[in-house]
Amino acid sequence: MPRFLHTADWQIGRQYDRFGPEDGPVLAEARLSTVERIARLASEQGVDAVLVAGDVFDAQTVSDRTIRRLFMAMQGYAGPWIMIPGNHDAALAESVWTRARRLEAIPANVHVLLAPQVLMLAEQGMAILPAPLTQRHTYSDLTDWFDHAETPPELLRVGIAHGSIQGILAEDIDSPNPIAPDRVARANLDYLALGDWHGCKQIDARTWYSGTPEQDRFKSNGAGRLLDVTIERPGCEPQVTTVAIGQFPWLQWEQQLDMPSDLDLFIEHLQQLTQSSVLSIALSGHLDLAGEQRLHQALSKAEALHRYLEYDFHDLRLYPTEEDIAGLHADGYLGEVVEELRQAQEGEAAGTAREALVILTGLLRDRQDNGEAQ
Amino acid sequence: MKLGYLRINQFKQFRQAIEIKDFDPGLNLFCGPNESGKSTVAAAIRAAFFERHRSSSVDDLRPWGDSGAAPEVELEFDHDGLTCRVKKRFLARKRCDLTIGTETLSGDEAEDRLAAMLGFQFPSRGASKSEYWGIPGLLWIEQGSGHELRSAVEFAGDHLKSVLGATLGQVTSSRGDEVLSRVESERAELLTPTGKPRGRYKEALEQVDILSQTLAELDERVERYRQQVDRFSDLTAQQRLDEVERPWQELRDQQAAAEVKFAQVQQLGELQARDEQALLKCRHHLQVVVEQLRGFQTQAEELAQRKNTRDALQRQAQELTAQQLIVKEMLTQAVKAYDTARANDRASRQQARRRDLEHKRQSMIDRHLQLTAACDQATTLDALLQEQKRTLATTQLDEKQLATLQRLGSALRDLEIRQQSIATLLAFELTSGPRLLLDGEVLTGQGERRLLKKTELHIEGIGKLSIAPGGQDLTELARQLERAREQLASALETAQVRDIAQAVQRAEDSRTLRTDISGNERMLALHAPQGIAALRQEIALLNEQIQQADADMQAQPPTTASAESLSPEQADQQLELASTALQEAELTERQLQEGLIQCQQALNTAQTECQQLEARLASPERQQQERDCNETLTVLRHEQSQLEQALAQRAELIETARPDILQQDIKRFQASAAQLELANQQRKEELIRLQSQLQAQDADGLEERQGKAATELGAQRRRLEQFEQRAQALSLLAGLLHDKRQALTRQLQAPLQKHLNHYLQLLFPQAVLEVDENLVPGQLVRAGQERGDFDLLSFGAREQMGLISRLAYADLLKEAGRPTLIILDDALVHSDPHRFAQMKRILFDAAQRHQILLFSCHPGNWRDMGVALREIDSLRTWKTRIVGG
Repeated sequence: MPRFLHTADWQIGRQYDRFGPEDGPVLAEARLSTVERIARLASEQGVDAVLVAGDVFDAQTVSDRTIRRLFMAMQGYAGPWIMIPGNHDAALAESVWTRARRLEAIPANVHVLLAPQVLMLAEQGMAILPAPLTQRHTYSDLTDWFDHAETPPELLRVGIAHGSIQGILAEDIDSPNPIAPDRVARANLDYLALGDWHGCKQIDARTWYSGTPEQDRFKSNGAGRLLDVTIERPGCEPQVTTVAIGQFPWLQWEQQLDMPSDLDLFIEHLQQLTQSSVLSIALSGHLDLAGEQRLHQALSKAEALHRYLEYDFHDLRLYPTEEDIAGLHADGYLGEVVEELRQAQEGEAAGTAREALVILTGLLRDRQDNGEAQ
Repeated sequence: MKLGYLRINQFKQFRQAIEIKDFDPGLNLFCGPNESGKSTVAAAIRAAFFERHRSSSVDDLRPWGDSGAAPEVELEFDHDGLTCRVKKRFLARKRCDLTIGTETLSGDEAEDRLAAMLGFQFPSRGASKSEYWGIPGLLWIEQGSGHELRSAVEFAGDHLKSVLGATLGQVTSSRGDEVLSRVESERAELLTPTGKPRGRYKEALEQVDILSQTLAELDERVERYRQQVDRFSDLTAQQRLDEVERPWQELRDQQAAAEVKFAQVQQLGELQARDEQALLKCRHHLQVVVEQLRGFQTQAEELAQRKNTRDALQRQAQELTAQQLIVKEMLTQAVKAYDTARANDRASRQQARRRDLEHKRQSMIDRHLQLTAACDQATTLDALLQEQKRTLATTQLDEKQLATLQRLGSALRDLEIRQQSIATLLAFELTSGPRLLLDGEVLTGQGERRLLKKTELHIEGIGKLSIAPGGQDLTELARQLERAREQLASALETAQVRDIAQAVQRAEDSRTLRTDISGNERMLALHAPQGIAALRQEIALLNEQIQQADADMQAQPPTTASAESLSPEQADQQLELASTALQEAELTERQLQEGLIQCQQALNTAQTECQQLEARLASPERQQQERDCNETLTVLRHEQSQLEQALAQRAELIETARPDILQQDIKRFQASAAQLELANQQRKEELIRLQSQLQAQDADGLEERQGKAATELGAQRRRLEQFEQRAQALSLLAGLLHDKRQALTRQLQAPLQKHLNHYLQLLFPQAVLEVDENLVPGQLVRAGQERGDFDLLSFGAREQMGLISRLAYADLLKEAGRPTLIILDDALVHSDPHRFAQMKRILFDAAQRHQILLFSCHPGNWRDMGVALREIDSLRTWKTRIVGG
């Protein structure tokens, strides 16, 4: 009863330009530690093999150190690793793979399949049919040859490929590296392990995208997982379980703040999120000065907890109330300035006006605090 | 505030007290010359308010030189419905008393109250200075400081602002300025005053630039790396394909095939060359045979031709023989003609000679006749000549003799004339009477006589008169006369002439005869130039010659009749023609003879040759030779056609095979194969090079670095955006605060502005004098002119603006219920008449609301102010009167 883990799109060496030099490297590091966790999981579960369906590396020219570190991270599992190159690490004439070979970094239990040839894993009861990418992009279906590939009947026919299943994405997206949606049926496969899409997605009973085990963008549904696949014998339907393995969830929140209670709800929601995440928040609507202060306090706390927090207040307006203004002692022409800025938030330079208002109220508040202190 | 009473005593100019009682509630004019004490009045008022009565620094208030004086000022004014009275004495018996309505104050208390009431301060020590004068300092203008406004306004600033504040209410922000300065300082951290980034903002900007560049470089390197990888991949694929296919091998095979083919063609070419050689030989042989045969043929033709020649010669000989006869006849004829012509010629010559002789004889006879006639003439002439010559010899009187005669005659005559002239003249006219005798001569009638010697006149009947002419010469003369007559007679005798006239006649005749002789001599010379004898000899000679000619004529043969018609020339010509004809006939005869001989010889030769040739042609060897030749010709012709056919076939083969193209093919295949191998080799080298380059770059972790650079750039960009946002916000905020504050200030300034404009319109219609936030006039904007800064206006204009401003402040203060007394010490001295007139209107208007004390040393300037002018001096007078009273 062969059992294997299906994962893909590790994108080792990935850099995150939106997070800056402080958070970016941590997130990059997280991808390696996720691999360590996969190895550990494979070891613990005693699976027969781990299939990595392409884009193991994010780029061809990652540093030697990165290559070595990846294979080190995989040491936790001594069983066979089956890998194919994807579009990011295609098996070009000179590639990350040729380099890894030169560096002698690839352990014996790691099978990097760079050519479309069947790999027999008799011991594991599997025949692997790989469709490695040898160019960055191809426009022919590299899995065509599966249809005519002969394998011993007693072994599972497991395909491994990297690309887009045709007919799923919108018509107008010209996705390279196409894969026929009925490949499993036509090639009589027991399972087709796919990579390329970073969200975990089932195409049919035997065809799955595992998605990336460590999320690397906000818009990928069901990322941060891998698939635990068990097939009783050739011809049997696979038992597929998704396993959450990722370290940092990537969350993108959009919130409209119109009523004071909206802010309460948002702050509560934020406080409920306890797992360290990568968080992107876009707020719209309006706040009074008190609300603005509360929001900032809540966000400051969240910033400390989460790996990364970014927020967009572009559509958020600051509307100080009469009490706010009175409380700030914004008398005389200061009051007029506050009012003018409040109104300017409706105009073209709304962001600037809001920022100016925040600065002004901040100054007034500071002064007031000092005054009270005195 | 209305001043009502002023008394000054022992104060500067006024050693004695003066008193001014009846102040006008409006304008008060004080006039007087310099040093009359105008400024002392103003100084007294100042001192009354500004100086502490206790002050010991006010020595200058004393009259000059009077160290014991106690300057004293006493004044009374109304304010706020109350009458206030101030009395101050300085330096000695110092005292200050103030009464406000019913309230009485004294000392410092009184002074402080005054200061609060009017809006000024006291210095902590010493004499008062302008910076403590506050509002009065603004309204009380000292001599020559009317144009200085800014400092006065500043010194009055607090008082003014408090006044304005009270008027407008507390509208300013309590914290606005502080906030504004904080905003501005924060903005200044990010932006320069001109709005350019600075500090951290600028650093972020630069950082973004640097990182962008770094990233761009990395992008480019990655792209280059990718291209290299692609190239490497392509080359590898090609190389692999080459190794499998070895494309140059095929080309080598093709080359070999072409070479084989080419060798075959070359062999064919050799065969062709050999056959061509054989054909050439065959053709040569053929030609020889054909020529031999042609030789035989030629000989036969030659024989026929020779025979023809021989026959022609025979015919020619016959013709020539016939011709010879005719020619001989022609020659005989010519000889005969020649002889005849020669005879004619001889005859004509004889004829001619005869005629010649005859002609000569005739001419000699003519000559003879001629000469005979001449001889006769000459003989006659000669006789005549002889006669003439004889005559001449007898009659000849030569010219010399004649001349002597003539001279002697002339001398005689001269002497006679002299005698006559010196003789005594006796003239007489006688009537009948006694006869008179003069030396013998009876004198009758009338006449005259010359008396040369003593003469006696005898008068009949009377006696005798002797007359003796005077002079002794008379006798001498008579002797000379006698001698001359003798000489002449002698000469006449010698010349055999009676008198001189005959001598002259005779000389004339001689001359004529001589002329005739000479003419006759010339005639004789003509007839007989060599003399008559020679002539006669010639005639004799001619006679002999004529006889000889006659003899010759007789000797001539008689002439023939035929020859008579021919002239010798004609005869000669005919002879010439006949001679020529004869010569031609002889030549023709000779030539014909020669031609005949030649023809005979040629004929003989031709006959011999014909015989020889006939013999040769008929020989049997010769027959055999010709037969052999014909056989050889047939064989050779066959051989030639065979060779030609073979050559043509082979040439076609060679042509079809195109050896030139085959050679090109060989070269082409060879070069192509070499090219492919070279390409392969080069590719191999490039692959090695590329591989090493790629491997070298691999270690760099290019894309990882690219990612990191992008990360840094992203972070920097966000930072920059934040700075931008903040800078924009701060700029906006600063601008807004500034604008609002300015608007508020303007609001505060509005009343002042209103009063200013009220006066300004009188001076400059439609002009505006802007007031800055310190309530100091800033810029004057006049209609149609550039705006002018107050401090840059002319002295006069500044003074005018200064006064207007002060009046405006006064209006403002009055509205706020503050005391307003205006003192002008010698104001507006720098104004032109027009402005001055306008300023007077302004002052008059202000005087409707405020009390004004105006001191001037130009009373004439202020006569039209509607108030009386007070003379300071009159005050003194008044004082004297008071003192006196």
